Amino acid sequence: MNDRIVDALRCRERTRLDEPTTDVIQGTLDMLILKTLSLEPMHGFGIARRIEQISKGVFKVNPGSLLTAFQRLERAGFLDSEWRQTENGRRAKFYTLTRAGRKQLDIETADWARRVSAVTRLLKADG
Amino acid sequence: MSLWRQLSRGLRVLARRAEADADLDDEVRHFYEETEKSYAARGISPLEARRLARLEVGDATVIRERVRDYGWENLVGTMWADLRLATRMLRKTPVFTAVVVLVISLGSGAVTTVFSAMNSLLLRPVPGVADDGQLAALQPIRSDGLLLQQGSYREYAYLRERSRTLAEIAAWGKVALTIAGKGEGATIWGNLVSGNYFDVLGAHPSLGRFFLPDEDRTPLAAPVIVVSYAFWRSHLAGDPSVVGRSVLVNGNPFTLIGVAGKDFHGIYTGVRADAWVPVMMQPLLRPRANLEASSWLWMFGRMNDGITTAAAQKELGTLLSSRAEAEGEPRGPAGFRSMAVFPFSGLPGGEGVVMFRLIAVLLGTATLVLIIAGVNVGAMLAARSATRGRELAVRAALGAGRTRLLRQLLTEILLLFTLGAAGGFAFAVLATAALEQLPVPANIPLQLELSPDARVMMFCLATSLLAGLVFGLWPAFRVVRTDITARMRDGAQTGGSGRNLIGRSLIIGQLALSLTLLVAAGLFVRALQRGQQMDPGFTMSRVLTTTFEAESWGYDETRSRAFYASLRDRVAAMPRVAAVSYTSRLPLTGGSSTEDIEFDGKTINVQRSSVDTDYFAALQIPLLRGRAFLVSDNAQSQRVAIVNQSLSRRLGVEGGVLGRTITFLGKPTTIVGIVRDTKYATLGESTPPFAYLPLSQVWQPTQTLLVRSNEDSEWLGPAIQQVVIALDPALPRPKMSSMSEATSIVLLPQRAAAIVTGALGLIGLVLATMGLYGTMAYSVQRRTREIGIRLALGAQRATVLSMVVREGMLLTGVAIVIGVFLAGIASQLIEGFLFNVSPLDAATYVSMSFAFLFVAFVASYLPARRAALSDPLLALRAE
Repeated sequence: MNDRIVDALRCRERTRLDEPTTDVIQGTLDMLILKTLSLEPMHGFGIARRIEQISKGVFKVNPGSLLTAFQRLERAGFLDSEWRQTENGRRAKFYTLTRAGRKQLDIETADWARRVSAVTRLLKADG
Repeated sequence: MSLWRQLSRGLRVLARRAEADADLDDEVRHFYEETEKSYAARGISPLEARRLARLEVGDATVIRERVRDYGWENLVGTMWADLRLATRMLRKTPVFTAVVVLVISLGSGAVTTVFSAMNSLLLRPVPGVADDGQLAALQPIRSDGLLLQQGSYREYAYLRERSRTLAEIAAWGKVALTIAGKGEGATIWGNLVSGNYFDVLGAHPSLGRFFLPDEDRTPLAAPVIVVSYAFWRSHLAGDPSVVGRSVLVNGNPFTLIGVAGKDFHGIYTGVRADAWVPVMMQPLLRPRANLEASSWLWMFGRMNDGITTAAAQKELGTLLSSRAEAEGEPRGPAGFRSMAVFPFSGLPGGEGVVMFRLIAVLLGTATLVLIIAGVNVGAMLAARSATRGRELAVRAALGAGRTRLLRQLLTEILLLFTLGAAGGFAFAVLATAALEQLPVPANIPLQLELSPDARVMMFCLATSLLAGLVFGLWPAFRVVRTDITARMRDGAQTGGSGRNLIGRSLIIGQLALSLTLLVAAGLFVRALQRGQQMDPGFTMSRVLTTTFEAESWGYDETRSRAFYASLRDRVAAMPRVAAVSYTSRLPLTGGSSTEDIEFDGKTINVQRSSVDTDYFAALQIPLLRGRAFLVSDNAQSQRVAIVNQSLSRRLGVEGGVLGRTITFLGKPTTIVGIVRDTKYATLGESTPPFAYLPLSQVWQPTQTLLVRSNEDSEWLGPAIQQVVIALDPALPRPKMSSMSEATSIVLLPQRAAAIVTGALGLIGLVLATMGLYGTMAYSVQRRTREIGIRLALGAQRATVLSMVVREGMLLTGVAIVIGVFLAGIASQLIEGFLFNVSPLDAATYVSMSFAFLFVAFVASYLPARRAALSDPLLALRAE
């Protein structure tokens, strides 16, 4: 009896500890956010929708991951934020790319391109 | 930039947690609203749209928790929560908490007290001195390698003028000063200092000014004086207007130009100076010393930037050697050509090393006590975590990770040890105050300042926390490592015999160490007793003494002689006074004067003192042959000396020494008597060759009066004081003390060691006994069911009692064997302090072991009795 409770509790513990997976390729979320913001300042939901639309639904951004990424990028000095009105008259937090963020985007884009071409070459060589 | 952002944003979140949370919630809600809207736009009913939006975005709380987890500030939050929980847990078991904190306090207090003494004697910068690491102490090295403390003014002036590595060199010497300002005069220790003394030290006056360069150029040109803040408060009524006024110093008018900084008492740790006078006033204040040639000045200097002590030492050595060659100085063993350069400290080179060794031994001993305390606490924490297993299992099951649990336990342990550190610090404050009260002889201005400061506080906290990590962490690891579900099933029944073995060895270790300390303390007490009963070779009882610094009253030799003679005659005329005499050096006060004598082509190094006619009668030292000094031995007559047996033997003409002539202090001196050997400087010494000279021929201005009376007489001291005042009302009232008080310093090391090891040993015993009691009580508690069954099956209560007591006694027995063995080794280290008490003194070992056995018996009897008296029914139901 006691054991069954414990097992149930353990089960719960395991699911809680499992990391929720994002649909975005690991490590690219920051770059996608920076890229999206390089066009214009945007609020959180706007960024999520833009990524989804432009990728034609391939990437779906989990709000938890997105908001955590904002925290991280802001602390690192790549983003600034302020509360503004949306066109619908709702108050929302708008994120702006800083100069450091722009530089970071260039670095990450270059890095990404390098990796993609490397992976592509590897795949071609195989065929 | 980003570090600044990390810090500022984190702090903002910490300061306004609620606002940050509300913002975050608002952002999440924005996601809901927009998602809901897009579903609604596709024509889905509002209710369904809301459900779908929830599904897609996910649970708001989960999102919020994830985002909140980011950032260092969350760690602060969790730590605060841990601390609150820890406080709550400790308050739930107040007795346990109190005992643990008490045990840590005792251990930490012992270490902190010793460290505090070490700090103020060795580590702390001298109060009132601004040392930026460029100050250096200079000490002459004799040609035969002996490190001296003082040099002469000639060397000082020579080096000061020529040194390039040292920007400035200052010098100072001791002088007794009698200062009369308002009211009765007071004799204090002062320093004769070079004009740059205060500047080199970087000291600042609290009133007035220090010396000008001009005030230290020409002998006797500037009678100016600076006094200490304490002296100004106590003897000059703290009156600011005295600055610039005249005071009498040794009977001469001086101008008081300043008051030193509040804590400044010279730069020799432990000996306080209360006034400073330019060294050029030396001929007036210390006329017998030869300013140029006598070695009486301590030196220190300020090194130029980038100069090391080694470089300075090299340069000074070169300078002194070239001077010796140029001037053709005689190069006896006493001449010196080099100068040791040390980093500046309040203790001269040689003494610092001795002090350091002594304190290192004490610190090691105190660390043993801390280890005993730590082991004890570790055992208590382990015992408690056994009973807390279920609580921890529940928390783990509810989702607390292992690191989180460990962090929680660690917080509790560190909280306990922090409280213990606070207790230990309080302990150290009290203990150092008690140590400062140790009796020291009245005629030395010893001032021990041992109280803890901020550095000691940091040390106390750091050692406690370190002990916490070392001794507290393993029980915590054990708990967390154990399979949590197993714990949940079995409750508190776990704990195999393996752990028990470790626990038992720890208890044995503690008991053995504390026995070692107790034996050491016992040996010191025996040495103290032996020292007090030891026959010094003269009779101390019914002898009153006081020391006069006639030079410090401005008396010249004629006036001093007249004073000493009239005082002697008047005291000798008092009823029941048996003998009155003077000596230049009171025996058993630790010091000696040595001199080379020549006889028959041999050179013998002897100790000497100058004494008055009735000296041997006053101290009842038997005259074996020849005669005592007579009034007829005067400055004009043939020089005479009286030798002790050892010197008589060394001269090598047993029986024929009387009437022979030796060369003493450069003059032919006839031996007129032989007296029995006595103790001279210390009780532990091997008897040196010793010679007495008459004060009338070898004059000393500083003399100690010795008055032997026929019966104990309370009135004699005040009567002598009255005679002194009657002879010269301007003199300070002399401090009278019995001979045994005056010589108490001779047993100071034994007394201090007995007190310190005794205190540490007792603390160790208390801790170890508590540990034994705890172990036995715990073992009885774990065996409740077994004991219940035994009793229920008809076992006699006496059988149960002896079963438990036997277990405790077995541990104690093993501990005694180990402890005695360790003490046998450790006591060899202190043999030199023991006055021939054997380091393996059987009486000490046996008595300490029995005392120990008794205490251990009580510690195991009490839990045993509880077990024997327990109700079998209750015991069986206990689970």
